[in-house]
Amino acid sequence: MIVLAIESSCDETSASVAKDGREILSNVVFSQIDLHETFGGVVPEVASREHVKRITVIIEKALEEADVSVEDIDLVAVTQGPGLIGALLVGINAAKAFAFAHGIPIVGVHHIAGHIYANQIQHELRFPLIALVVSGGHTELIRMQGHYQFEVLGHTHDDAIGEAYDKIARVLGLGYPGGPVIDKLAKEGQPSYDMPNIRTEDPYGFSYSGLKSHVINLIHRERQRGRSVQTVDMAASFQKAAIEHLIEKSRRAVDNTDAGMFLVAGGVAANSLLRERVAQTFTDISYAIPDFEYCTDNAAMMAVAAYYQYTHARQSDSMSLNGYSRLEL
Amino acid sequence: MKRSPVRLLLDTATPYLNVALYEGTERLGSLYRKGNNDHSVTLMPAVEQLFKDHDRNVEDLDGIVVGIGPGSYTGVRIGVAVAKTLAWSKNIPLYTVSSLALMASGHHGKALPWVDARRGYAFLGLYEVNDHVVQLDEDRYAHLDSYREEIEGEWTAVTSGRPDLLLLERGGLLFPVEDVHHVSPMYLRQTEAERNHSAK
Ligand SMILES: [Zn+2]
Repeated sequence: MIVLAIESSCDETSASVAKDGREILSNVVFSQIDLHETFGGVVPEVASREHVKRITVIIEKALEEADVSVEDIDLVAVTQGPGLIGALLVGINAAKAFAFAHGIPIVGVHHIAGHIYANQIQHELRFPLIALVVSGGHTELIRMQGHYQFEVLGHTHDDAIGEAYDKIARVLGLGYPGGPVIDKLAKEGQPSYDMPNIRTEDPYGFSYSGLKSHVINLIHRERQRGRSVQTVDMAASFQKAAIEHLIEKSRRAVDNTDAGMFLVAGGVAANSLLRERVAQTFTDISYAIPDFEYCTDNAAMMAVAAYYQYTHARQSDSMSLNGYSRLEL
Repeated sequence: MKRSPVRLLLDTATPYLNVALYEGTERLGSLYRKGNNDHSVTLMPAVEQLFKDHDRNVEDLDGIVVGIGPGSYTGVRIGVAVAKTLAWSKNIPLYTVSSLALMASGHHGKALPWVDARRGYAFLGLYEVNDHVVQLDEDRYAHLDSYREEIEGEWTAVTSGRPDLLLLERGGLLFPVEDVHHVSPMYLRQTEAERNHSAK
């Protein structure tokens, strides 16, 4: 079964062709990151304008690179949400038009399901499993009993971890996006600044606003006292606290359930400390983290998720398929 | 006998959903209905229904005409995304037309079509409609009341109007697209972020 997937939920315009939910025949990703860098963050209207400008070129390229003809495509998949609504609607309407033009069924796919299924590209998922989804918009722990059975165990009560990284990077004058640059600097520094213990009432919940405020106040205080902030040490201190919070909650979720596998998904899965700590922490069960190219938003992961959605959950949607900025998994 | 070309008209830049199917100079059917910020949900089903009602299918299409804006940014992108994907997928010609010209074409005489752009501003244009549509002034983003004061003679301000594709075509207001991949809406305004950035 060959799936053509389209993803436009944030600042990447992407199309992919994948076979049977594992073999990626093409994965074309156009990142707008350089453009949004100038504005210090993703600007929804700018992102939407870029998507509509490029959408057909990207789809065409994905078909060409996969070397498949339209007749070979069995299913069109598109990210339905969550995400930036104006951005989502470009991909959704292009996908509907493509499906209609060629008489192919279409399915709307949850973006987070895509991030989770990015792991299936390289590792066979084994159930039950626990997935940690970490990105600019998400910090969630999800339990899966089988293919396409999602149970959200907990999520962030305030900021997503990626948001906290972006904010701290801005305060430190490191630009946007914050994740990669803080990760890089943290390796050169020592976690010498005191960080708070993050507490949440709910056992699988996350909170990043307290840590974020603590770091920002600390930076301001040091500057007021005329002391220079050791950027690399601050980055290392913040990163250690941020990542340990993820590890602690993830380990608890694995221990309290019967999970035999642990997955990391989403843009923050590219973080080197998180990758290292996961390897150290989950020695007793199997774990998976996607390759870097499948950590950030891409249509290949949507194509893989779509295959499992089609074979294990709902088969297709109608032409009234819509996008949603917020959407339950 | 060579049949007349079948064309599909789409416009989602204004509060009205606008879809019509033409065969030659005949309008086979159309849907012109006020939406509720839901063009994304209603556009493709409307297209599907229109083909079904008139016993045509996408293979019969010889051309697509799309309202390119100005108007709602999110709205216009829905129509443009659909139109360019259909045109590219089926390798058929695409034409763009001003969404304001479309609105004006449903009226007679001098018309000021406008779409609200908040704080007294609007996307507006000035057209004369008789047996064809004449564009009297460029579509623009302007202060509505100030613009009105400058217009001479009799005119009507309009915020809706079932379009007449043939009057627009006779007026030379349908523009063929050379490279479908490069079609983007006519926004007439930079994004707020870009304006703030260049103001710095
Ligand atoms: Zn994502």
